[in-house]
Order: sequence, then C-alpha cells, then structure tokens
Amino acid sequence: MTLRRLAFAFAVGVAVQVVVGLGGAAAQQVTLKVWMHEHPPRIPIDKAIVAEFEKANPNIKIQYDVLGVAEYSTKLLTAFASGSGPDIFNQTSALVAQYFTSRIMAPVDLAAMGHANEKVLQDLYGSGLDGIRFGGRLYGIPTEVSNYACYTNNTIWKEAGLDPMKDFPRTWEEFPAIAEKLTQRDANGVPRRRGFDFNWPSAGAFWNSFNALLQQRGGTLVDEATYKAALDTPTNHRTFQYLIDWAAKHRLGGPQYTDSRTDFLGGKLGTDCTFGIWGIPQMHDAKIDFTVRPAPRFADATSDNGMNAYAYYMMVNARSSTAVQKAAWAYVRYYSDQAERLFAGSGLFVPRPEVAARAIDANSRVFLDELKKAKFPPRVVGYSQVLDAVMRGRDRMIQGGEPAAKVLPELNKDIDVILQRERARAEALNR
Amino acid sequence: MLKRTRLGRHWWGLVFVLPVVLFFAVFSVFPVLFGFAISLTDYNLLDEPFYVGFDNYRNLLDDRLFLTAFKNTLVFVFGATLPVWILSLAVAVLFDQAFRGREFLKTLFFLPVLPPVVVVAVIWRLLLHPNGVMTWFAGGHQGITEIPWLANTTLAPLAMIVVHDWAVIPFFMVIWLAGLAGVPRELREAARLDGASSWQMFWHIDLPQLRATAVLVAALSSINAFQTFTLQYAMAPDPGGPANSTLVLGLLVLKYGFQYFRMGDAAAVSVVMFAMILVVTAIQLGFNRRVR
Repeated sequence: MTLRRLAFAFAVGVAVQVVVGLGGAAAQQVTLKVWMHEHPPRIPIDKAIVAEFEKANPNIKIQYDVLGVAEYSTKLLTAFASGSGPDIFNQTSALVAQYFTSRIMAPVDLAAMGHANEKVLQDLYGSGLDGIRFGGRLYGIPTEVSNYACYTNNTIWKEAGLDPMKDFPRTWEEFPAIAEKLTQRDANGVPRRRGFDFNWPSAGAFWNSFNALLQQRGGTLVDEATYKAALDTPTNHRTFQYLIDWAAKHRLGGPQYTDSRTDFLGGKLGTDCTFGIWGIPQMHDAKIDFTVRPAPRFADATSDNGMNAYAYYMMVNARSSTAVQKAAWAYVRYYSDQAERLFAGSGLFVPRPEVAARAIDANSRVFLDELKKAKFPPRVVGYSQVLDAVMRGRDRMIQGGEPAAKVLPELNKDIDVILQRERARAEALNR
Repeated sequence: MLKRTRLGRHWWGLVFVLPVVLFFAVFSVFPVLFGFAISLTDYNLLDEPFYVGFDNYRNLLDDRLFLTAFKNTLVFVFGATLPVWILSLAVAVLFDQAFRGREFLKTLFFLPVLPPVVVVAVIWRLLLHPNGVMTWFAGGHQGITEIPWLANTTLAPLAMIVVHDWAVIPFFMVIWLAGLAGVPRELREAARLDGASSWQMFWHIDLPQLRATAVLVAALSSINAFQTFTLQYAMAPDPGGPANSTLVLGLLVLKYGFQYFRMGDAAAVSVVMFAMILVVTAIQLGFNRRVR
C-alpha cells in the first residue's frame, strides 16, 4: 500500500515537473508577427534573414507576412483596430504621425537592440532618423531612406542637341526653355513627347516634390510645429504660379497626362524627377540610357534642398507584451544590420556607411549628395486629408482655371480646419 | 391531430429558413446596426472609439467635402437613371421587333455587362486618354488633337455618367425585354385591327403593362447609381478628381474611413446613403402601389 502511494506520489511529481517544465519553455518561447509591405526583390532576402535569426535565437519564432502595397495601410489599420496588429511593422514616414499620436509605436529600446546609446544609431543613419523622431525620441529604424533626383533620357536629350551634364538646368526658371527644346509637339502644339513634367497624378510624389519647391524658398505646405497651414504667403503664391504657368502658359505638361514615371520608362518623357536611387534597376530593365542630375533650385532659393526625403521605418507595436517588444527590437537590430545585403539584393538604400560605400557610381553619388541636403516633408496627423486638399486646390487652379489669389486663402482655411480638428482629437486622446 | 401536424410543419419550416435568417442577421442586419453605432462615435481605428452623439451628422451639414460629394452623387444619380430608363426601354422595344440578325445583335449589345466594372473603367480610361481614340472620334475631323476628358472638371463627371450608362443599359434592356414578353399579344392584335399606330400601341398597351417592370428598373438603377464607387475610383486619374468633381458618397466613405482615419464620419455618410436609398426606393414602391 505504502509502496503504491509512493509510486503514485512519484508519478504525480514527474507529471508536475513535465507540466511546469513545458510551461517554462512555453513562457520563454516568443512568436513575433512581422508585417512588411511588398517589394518583390526584398522578399527572399527577408525570408533568409528570418531563418538565420530563428536559428540564432531558437526561443524566438517569426511569423513573416508580406502585404500588397495598395492594401497595406488599410490592413494594418484594421488589424490594429481588431487588436490583432503585428508586433513589428514597417510604414512610410508620411503616415507615422498618426501612429505616434495613437501611441501604437514603441520607443526604440536601445538595450534590447544591444546599442550603448542613441549616438550609435545617429552615426549609422544620420538624417535618415529625422522622419521617426518625435519629441526627441526615436520610434523606429529605417529600412529605406529615399530622395528623388532627376533622371534624363540621354537619347532624347541628344536628339535635342543637349548634353545632360552640361545643359541640365540649375534653376527652375531655366527649365521651361530646356523642356521646350526636348518637347515634340503636333500641328496643334499638343505635346506628343514631353521634355519634363511634374508627377501630377501621384499624390505622394507630388507632396514630396512640390513641398520641396516651397521649402527652397523658405516656405512649406504645413508648419509641423504649430499645426497650421502655411500656404497663403506671397512666396508660396509665386511657387504655385510656377506650376500653373508650367501647365497653362508654357503647356509643357499637366495633370491630364499619365504618371510621369510610366511615361519616362516608356520613352515619352525626356526627364523625370520622381525616381529615387531604387529607379536605377528599372532604367536598366527599360534599356534607357540615363544620367542622374540634382533637381534644380529656384534662383531666389534660401535653402539648398532638392526634392524631399522620405523613409520606411521598422517599428514595434507598443501594445505587444514587454517580452515580445524586447524580442522584436532584437530582431530589428538583426534585420537592420543586414542593410548592405538588402541594398545589394533589393536596391533599398539606408544611409549607413557600409551601404553608402557600395553606391560609388556617379549617378548613385548624386542621390547621396542630395540626401544630405534633403528635408522630410511635414509629418502631421491628417496627412492624407491635407494632401487631398492640396491636390484639389491644385486642380482648381490648373484644371478649373481659378486664380491662385482666390484658391490659396480658401485652401489655407480648409487645411487649418483639418489640422485643428486632428489636433483637438489628439489632445482629447492624451487627456 | 391536424393542428399538431400544422404546428410541426411550421417548426420544420422555421428550421429550414433559420440558416438564411441567421446569415442575413449576421452579415446584413448586424453590420447596419454596428455601422449606425460607429456613426455616433469619434473613431480612428487605432484608439478606442468615444461617443459623440449626433455630432458627426451635424458636422456633415457644413462639411464641404460631404456637400460636394452629395451634390455630385445626385447629379450622377440623375444622369445614371433617367437616360438609362429611356434608352434601355427604347433598345428593348427595338429588339422586341422581329428582324434578321436580332439575336446576334442582342448578344453583341449585351457584352458591356459582362466585364467587371473595374475592367470597364480601365478600358475607358485608355479610350478617354487626352490624345486617345475618343478624342479622334470627337474632334479629329476638326483638327482637335487633345481633349482632357478626365482632367476637366466639367467633362470628367459627364464621362463617368456616359460610361456608366453604356455599361448598364444592356442589363436593363434585358429586364424590359422580359417585361415586354409578358404583354399579352392579343391586346396588340386587337389594337392593330382597330387601326392603332405603333406609337399608340406602345403608349396605350405596352407601357401600362410594363408598370411593375418600370418600378423594378427604377429601383435597381437608382440603388446602383447611389452606390457608385468603382468608376470614380478607377477611371479618374486621381480618385474623385479633378478638383473633387467626381467625388461621390461611396468614395467619400472610403476616404473618411481608411485614408483620413475618420471612421465615425465614414459611418455617418454610410447611414445617410442608406437613408437616401431607402427613401427613394420607398417612394418608387409607393408610387407603384398607388398606380395599381
């Protein structure tokens, strides 16, 4: 009887040990849900990185998902709304203000990343971190930092008797005359091939390029610090007028034309200024003989910036558990250390020294030099609404023929209403 | 005994319809009620919603985007109903006549209904390129080589209506044809013997007999037009543009909800759309009942 009791007690003890042991192991095992937007050349590299990380960290399992660019933001939003958001996600600098305000992004955990201090990151990424710093704190690590510069189609330029290296305009004021030389028109004066045009249909490209034009003259679309629209100023009126003249007076292009990138790759546009360094492989694929030149500046520019910078950041969900967040930052560190490999295989550039060292050809150097002078566009909650409002205002002036003097004050007022509403909401949330 | 059998039959009936009722409740009734509940909140999807009562509805009254979308929707509904009713009926009457090659032409005419709206939008976007085929048709003989069909604030909404009508007229033609097939032939024969003209026969015999079909066509086309979204999203170079001239309520719901992070406002616009469709449909059904 006693023996049976002892045997029973032993069996119970073993069972408890097993359960506790399994429980302990389970507690240490962390699964990270990682969401990235689709960039086909990056996917196999991502998968290889995940496999290596899991091998090096057997207690961390990565659930890696790639989502299409078009639905990425919507799916991310709905996932967070339903409480099933990823632990690690990437997002563009244009949209991070909303995530910051809603406290979705966790501040960078330097200890979990194995960095002694923030200076290490600053030395690695420089101004690439500007798009993800709020109130002096960092909330993500760049997976891509881009800026636009101007690609010329050398065949078209040569046909027009121009040399991109010598004749590329230094100022926006010189550009209409050069663009006219590159333009081919039909009997009615309608451009059959444009010399240069802005990327009117692409809202994001328009924001990154047009805001940069305003910044060259010391202006901006929106003041990020005061959350006020800054459109209705004499300098901004002149810059808007430049766009109106481009389409209506010089008839060099306009919003009625196809996306400028598509036309450039199709050989129907002599110059495009909305490709980043990532455009180089596309030029090779399209068999375009090209040269990259810095974007022009206005003759009266007070800032030497070309087009705006923008970035994609890898961020950690602040609503994930502490253990998951720590594991997530460890993965972010591992992933970000593969920057050179990611650049070589997928063309995604981050301004780390080892990556910059690979971009040694003349065309790539233009991007790097311009990036040092580039500014991020304003990051505000309600970015999409503001952008839509700007696009509509632009359409009213260029396609509707309304004068800038009438449209800009109204647009300024509309944007102020949007920003005040968003700010009030953010304040209510933080109370 | 008889009573018990009937009751049993009733219970079995309920059991059989229960899956459909449940499906309808979960996927139709609940979303409508949930949508209404969301419309009473300020909700950005990322934070907890907070109750704001009817503020979202009040705000719509002086929301410039909503008012523009509301006006554009009404214009679109007008353009996508009245011409559709008349033209589809005219084509149906034509195809109701006996002539050689009728079935082949009818099939050909029905083709625009087959591709999804997004495909229609993409095809027409190409056709309406400023230097494209439609420009050649419209202005080629006058030497015009560029017409900004989709980049002009007047032409773009008109283009949406024309493309929509082109795509749906064949569908409604088929409904009218079904209605016409139900008109007793002997009535026409009698009228013809009495010396009635084709127009008189159409006006005094066919049209009154098509009353129920007319209500169906009116209701379906109105609902379809109020819910328009895909053309304005996929055909315009920039959804809703240029200058918001093609911004309709359906598109505004998407913008408010998933681009502007304003789910409460999006839900309020949806409820307004729902109410508009409900009222229009009720008027049409009421009209039908009164005429009967």
